[in-house]
Formats: sequence, structure tokens, C-alpha cells
Amino acid sequence: MASTKTRPKPFLFPEFCKACGRCISACPKDCIAMGSEINPATGFTPVELDLEVCNGCGLCLTACPEPYGLMPAPQQVDFELIDPQELLGDRLTSAPEPQPIPDERIGLPPLEPLILKGNHASAIGALLAGCRHFFGYPITPSTEGAELLARLLPQLDGIFVQAVSEVATVNMMYGCGGAGLRCMTFTSSPGFSLMLEGISYMIGAEIPGVFFNVMRGGPGLGNIGPEQGDIKLACRGLGHGNTHAIVLAPSTPQEMLDLTMDAFDLAFHYRNPVVLASDGYLGQMTGRVNLPNHMVRPGLPEWAVYGDENHRRNLHTSILLIEADLEAHNAHLNDKYDRMTREQQRADLFRCDDADWVLVACNTPARMARGAVQQLRDRGIKVGLFRPITLWPFPIDPLTPLLERVDGLIVVEAGAGQLEDELRLAASRAGLPLPPLHRIQHFGGVLPQQQEIVDAVTEKSGGAA
Amino acid sequence: MSVFYEKFERHAHGEGLKGHSTHYCPGCGHGLIHKYLAETIEDLGVQDRTIAVSPVGCAVFMYYYMDVGNTQAAHGRAPAVGIGHKVANPDAIVVSYQGDGDLASIGLAEIMQACNLGLPMTFVFVNNAIYGMTGGQMAPTTLMGQKTTTTPEGRTRLMGEPLKMAEILGQMDGPVYVERTALFDNKQRNRTRKAIKKALTLQVENKGLSFVEVLSECPTHLKLTTPEAERWVKEQMVPVFPLGVKKDTSAEAEAWFDPGTPAFGVDEVVDLIGGTDQKPERFASGFPTHIHDTDISIKFAGAGGDGAQTIAMLTTRTAINEGWDSTHIPSYGPESRGGTSYADVHIATDEVLSPASPNPHILVAFNPPSLEKFGPHVGSGGIIIYDSSVVPSPPKLDSGVKMIGVPCTEIANDLGKALVKNVVALGALQAATELFPEESFLATMRQALQDRCALLALNEEAFARGARAYREATKSNGS
Ligand code: SF4
Ligand code: SF4
Ligand code: SF4
Repeated sequence: MASTKTRPKPFLFPEFCKACGRCISACPKDCIAMGSEINPATGFTPVELDLEVCNGCGLCLTACPEPYGLMPAPQQVDFELIDPQELLGDRLTSAPEPQPIPDERIGLPPLEPLILKGNHASAIGALLAGCRHFFGYPITPSTEGAELLARLLPQLDGIFVQAVSEVATVNMMYGCGGAGLRCMTFTSSPGFSLMLEGISYMIGAEIPGVFFNVMRGGPGLGNIGPEQGDIKLACRGLGHGNTHAIVLAPSTPQEMLDLTMDAFDLAFHYRNPVVLASDGYLGQMTGRVNLPNHMVRPGLPEWAVYGDENHRRNLHTSILLIEADLEAHNAHLNDKYDRMTREQQRADLFRCDDADWVLVACNTPARMARGAVQQLRDRGIKVGLFRPITLWPFPIDPLTPLLERVDGLIVVEAGAGQLEDELRLAASRAGLPLPPLHRIQHFGGVLPQQQEIVDAVTEKSGGAA
Repeated sequence: MSVFYEKFERHAHGEGLKGHSTHYCPGCGHGLIHKYLAETIEDLGVQDRTIAVSPVGCAVFMYYYMDVGNTQAAHGRAPAVGIGHKVANPDAIVVSYQGDGDLASIGLAEIMQACNLGLPMTFVFVNNAIYGMTGGQMAPTTLMGQKTTTTPEGRTRLMGEPLKMAEILGQMDGPVYVERTALFDNKQRNRTRKAIKKALTLQVENKGLSFVEVLSECPTHLKLTTPEAERWVKEQMVPVFPLGVKKDTSAEAEAWFDPGTPAFGVDEVVDLIGGTDQKPERFASGFPTHIHDTDISIKFAGAGGDGAQTIAMLTTRTAINEGWDSTHIPSYGPESRGGTSYADVHIATDEVLSPASPNPHILVAFNPPSLEKFGPHVGSGGIIIYDSSVVPSPPKLDSGVKMIGVPCTEIANDLGKALVKNVVALGALQAATELFPEESFLATMRQALQDRCALLALNEEAFARGARAYREATKSNGS
């Protein structure tokens, strides 16, 4: 065999041998034996090689579990004398420094408004925002959004995957968002609960993704009527650990489209998931929707794990074993949450300027409240509506001037005070005293109605007119 | 071996020996499998394209070592994460690397779906019959009688039987290649190297999903030396988990996964979402202020299948085409069939505030329960249209409310299509309320039925008959 001589024999830096002995039984020539000297650096007793009869078969190399354990001897080097660092190198990777490809905003011609169901408006917003990947599991009352994308995405060579569960869904998003692409899901309360673990991982690994939760009645299976019972999950309960995400609360089909588009930009801007919290009523509501003046062709961020040379050095993980490392990572996340809190508080103030009483409501209840404000104003009662558009961060800044001035707040919600809790917490953190606070609450798919809001304000405000 | 990092910077910042040695215990099979993966990736020239998905388990830190794109997944979810990566970039070579707890316990649903989808991906399943990372608890693949920290007296039937993943997945249609190999001697190690190479090659050739189960040694938790552990796998595990190819259809498999490059052309997108710059024709001269100055509220109610939603939607579309804001909300009864189905519509000059219609200006009722339930909430000056074919004796309501019975069902049956009774009602509604001109509703109807011309004539006829029936009804009432 002519090749025998050219096959390198093994060599070993003793400090990288863990003394498992696999190579000993692997060698057909009995060249390797358990050593007798403990290596002071490792505490192991490395094997000893006697290569006189070694034929370079390489079986021992294949049997050694350590990447830098047994290895083929380098040519023409007296390896006994060299420093492993020098031979092995200490470069982390040969991959290039990744470069971002920026997103592109492409102008749209002026278009007539569309007439769309809320869930459809959101799906179209996603398409315009450059989302071409959807993952989801069917759940009423969110499914129309998924169904529309199942029909439209393939026509744009996009991908629609019906996952085996919501748990699988969120993890597919972890992969696809981790690859640097814009992806989303539609879900409803029970499904959202199942996604929370994965959302925590996404936040930990700083992976963007858009979660559209059409909230329904709970707890448990509840029903498919509108509720706002997941505000606590979205604002305070995104899985385990120190997690937050921007939570957007649309209240018209128009906002279903606009805020879905915004959600993608925000998710990538902050490298964090974004939650859209809608309600069952809004998902089913059809209305006029104006189209934006642009759409987005997404680029590819520098941090993506895309599967190409440009991004080879990247890693997505949320595990940091060393306590100081994990503390530093949390500090970094806290910085990000602080930035979101400073930069993204959004609210819509309707006739609040001179209001003595202010209603606080979001989603569909905010529309009932808006109707009530109009009705009460017609009767001369000075009432306004404060409608948070971001539920987290709670828009405490625009609310602050009102808090000092108004006679009272009335929180109107389809739920047990979860919006009120966000308001109280935000005020308390800001050190602001609250004026008298009242509430109108309904559950189980029943929404607060305009007339009862009118009646409540009339009563609280002393029936003035 | 260039697919390993020159220095394991991520392993405790690469300090000291950690920069060049793994975190695995002496003799652990993971190191071997990493080595075979690394050499295959190098041989196939796919280092840049490879994404290694590491699991939760002892291999959670595979990304310390492999100089490829790395993603670390939640426990059991590596297949789902891998699918996300593969559909994001079909050129990526995705390797999902999982242990027995990860793949065969908590992640069963995900591996089943991945194998069912059969996307060209590579699964390496490390079966060492025990939980390593958490300290030696029972795995789904733990042998009967085997002692672990959670089976202190040995695994019994009460804890289930060892799960044979290669056999299970080998029966599925998705994978093209499924094999079980081992590491306990030179022959088996070579078999494993070849299997990993084949599995990755099939992905590089875009032919399909491969699954390689490797029987591996965990000397630490077996409390054996490495040579003893090798023997244990050979003598104890192999009889339960027979080695060999479980499925191989790779010879017939053809390259297939090619979803194309996502499109972002303006025209394509605008066309797809139905965008147009064509203004709808308007027929009305202004807002129907004879009903309300700024905000008109309507309720359509009937049984599921009465078509209340369809005409509610037509009304909303008509209003928006006329340039006003309008909303439609459907509400269904508890049963989707035969229950109540009602729709609330608002039409506003400016912006619809509350979209609910608890006290509508106009009610269209298709059956007695709907009329009884919603009729009393129609305010004075309001209009109620009901199907007199099914409501022979309407309840007495506020004298300020105009009640109009139109035999919608009869007329529809007469036209030979019971389903159009809703359009009959819509014709009557137009005539009774003059919400918008007749042409306005007809234009919306044409728009909605543009792909189904055959139905259009029938619907137009139904609309006209409804309007006529209203006029006849009011004539006979003498009003
Ligand atoms: S190369 Fe072959 S003969 Fe030489 S030490 Fe290794 S196993 Fe033995
Ligand atoms: S196989 Fe490697 S780690 Fe194990 S004893 Fe041999 S050289 Fe040492
Ligand atoms: S515990 Fe077992 S599986 Fe984990 S590293 Fe150690 S030997 Fe390997």
C-alpha cells in the first residue's frame, strides 16, 4: 500500500485528553495505552502513544470524542515543543463581519379605500409590511386572517405553514424570525397562552416576530365572544423571566392594518416580539380601510442566522450560564424596555382638552366609549376619552396632565380590571396620585354598551346638563 | 478540522483549557457525533450554509464548537425552529440535533410534524437512554429495569416501554432515509459517519428529510467507565434498539423543495390585495339625513342561513362606496346553524363611533324570534321590515315605529330560489327607507357578483320584487 507512508500518525496535547480510553480499544496495533501520570492542569491521566508500529489507519482519531484530542500530526513540526494556541489558533471564526441589508420602503400609488373585515385588514397590513412567512394554528375568532394569508402568500412565493400546535408555531417563528425574516401568527387567547413560553425565548434571544391575538372570552375554553382578558398576559406575563414587548391595541379595521404594519417595524427596530391585542368583535368588524402610501421590501439584518456566509458567525440563544453574563444580558434588555417606554407610548385623546371626566378604554369598548362621549357632549357634559394604543408601555405621559385636573376616571373594559391595573401601575411608578377611579366591566363576550357608559357618567358627574 | 472553531470562545469565554476542550464528560458520545458532523459539513463544502439547531440537553452548547450558523432552541422544539429556518432560506442546510428527552418526550409533536412535512432537513437523534443534563433521570428510551434517579428500582411497565423512534418515524411517508447506528466500536463509528454523511448529502441534494438515531454512551449517568459503557450499549441497548436502516427511499427521491423567492413587486401586491384607483360610482346626492343627521344604525336579524349577514355587508359596502364611513359586525348565536344570526350596521358622515346597534333606526327581521327580541328596541320614528311569510301576526310595538310586512320567502320561492329572500328584503328596505338610491345598491350587488353573472339577473329581479312588494304593502295599508 503506497499510501501508508503518507498517512499521518496521531498526536495528542495531553491537556486535551480526558482519558476516556476509547482510542485504546480502537487501535488495532495496540499503540495506545493508559498513561501513568496525572496531568496537573486537568486532573486526568492522559493516554500515552507508542507509535512505532502505527500505520496511520486513523481509527483512533475517529474514536476520540474531543475536537482537539487525538489529531493527525502536522507535517515537519516538532509538535512536542509548540504551544497549542499557536498550532490551533485562537480566532473565533473565519466568517466575515456580517453586514446588514437595509429595508426598502416602496411608494404605492394613490388607491381607493378597501372594505375589509378587521382580521383581513391585519393580514393585508402584514403583506404590505413585507411579511411573507406565516405560521399558525387555527383558532376562532382569529382564523380569517390566517385563511386569507393561506390564499395570498403562495401567490407571492411566500410560505404558509399550519403548525401542529401553537407551541410549534411560536418556535417556527423563532427560527424564521431568527433567520432575519418578517413573520407572524394569528391566534386567540387559549392559543396565545400556549405561545408564551416561546415568546420568552424569543425575547431572551432578541428575535422579532408579530403575534396577533384576537382576544376571546375566558378562562379556559371560555367562548368566542370579545374580551380583553389577555392584557395581563401581554403586558405582564410573556412567559418566564424578565420579559416585555410592545403591545398595540387597535380599535378600528383601519388600525388593524396600520398597527400591523407598525408592529413589524417595531419588532425589527427593537429586536423583540410585538403583540397586537385585538378583540373578537374587532376581528369580525368590516369597515373602510385606507391603504398606506408605501409598502416594505425587507432587507436582512446583520444579526440574522440565515444560513449563508455573511451570517455564519451569528448565534441565537437565551442560555447564559455565567451569572454575571446573564445579569448583563438582563441589564441590556432593561435598557431596551426603558427605550421602548420612552419612545413608544401612544394614545388617542378624544375631546379630553376641557373634560371633567375622562373615560379610559381600548379596542372595541373604546368605540362604545367614543359614542358615549359624543352623546354626552351633545348634552353638554364635559367628558373625554383617553384611548391607550400601546397597552405596554402604558401611555402615562399623555395622561399625566389630565390626572391632575379631572374630577375622575372611568375605565371601561371587557375584562376584570386588567387595563385598570396597567393604568394604576404606570401611575404608581410615575409617582402620580390618581383622581377618583370608577369602572364599567363586562365579561364572557358581553361588551360595555354606549348607553350604560352614558348613564354611568351622568350619574358620577351629578347629572349635569 | 475547520468546521470547529479554532478556539471555543463561547465556552466560558475560552479561558484556559476550555478554549479547546468540550464541556462533555470523558467518553461522552456527543463529542464523536459532533466530530462526524463537522467533518461531513467540511467534506460537502456547506459550512457557510449550515444552521445547527441545538436542543436542551447536554448538547445545548453545540454552538460552542461548530463554526456554522447556530440557533439554540427551547426544549423539544428544535424541529419547529428548524422548519422556521428552512422555509426562511431553502438553501440553508438545517441540522436539528436532539437528545432522547428532547426529541422523544417533550418534543414528540414537533418531531412528528417535521417528519410528516418531510422538508429536506437532517435530524440527528442521540439516544443514550438517560437524561444527562438534569442528572440521570428516566428518558423515554430508558431500558426496562434500568435504574435511574426517577426509577430507583428500575423502569417498570408503569413507566412505559422504551420508545423506538427510528422504527416509528421509519413508517412515516415524510422521511426518505431513517437509520439507527451506534458508537461502541470502530465498525459502528464508521457506520455512523457514513449515515451522517448520507443524511446531509440528501439535504444538500434537496431530496428530503433524513433521520439518524445514534445509540450513544453516557458513562457518567450509567456510572460506568467508557469501555464498560460501550459494552453496555452493545449488549443491553442494541437488542432493544436494533441497528440498521429503517427506511431508505433516497434512490427514487428527486429534488423538490423550491418555494421560490418571495415577491415584492408593487403591481403584484396591489393587484393581490384588490387595490384600485378607480373610484366607485356615486348615486346619492348626500347623507340620508331623513333617517339621522350623522349616524344611522341598522340591525339585520334572522336564523343562520337567512342571509342577514350578506345584505348587511351589501349595505355597508354601498354606504362606503357612497363616500361615508360604515361598519358591519356579525354576531352569531351559539350554534352556527339554525341559531340566531344578526348583524349590526352603522353608517356615519364622519366616523362610526360605536359600531353596535342596540337601538337601531332600521330593523330587518326574518323570523318571529328576531322580531320579538329586537323589535321593542327600535326607537320612535324607526322602521321595521319583517318577512310576513313567516311572521303572520307581528307583535304590537311603539306606535311611532313603522312596521312593514313583506312576503320575502314567498317571493323568493316564486323566483325559484329560496336563498334570495334576503335580497327581496334589501329591495324592500331601499324602497321603504330610501337610505341610498336603488342604483347605488344595484351597483354594489354587481360588484359583489361580478364573477357569477348567472346569479346577477336573479338577484336584480329579487331586489325589484322586494321594492314592489313594499309599495303594494303600503298601498294596501292606505299609508
Ligand atoms: S493511527 Fe491507527 S495504528 Fe496508529 S495509533 Fe491510531 S489507531 Fe493505532
Ligand atoms: S479517545 Fe481521546 S480523550 Fe479519550 S483517551 Fe483517547 S485521546 Fe484521550
Ligand atoms: S452527562 Fe452523559 S450525555 Fe451528558 S455530557 Fe456527560 S456523558 Fe455526555
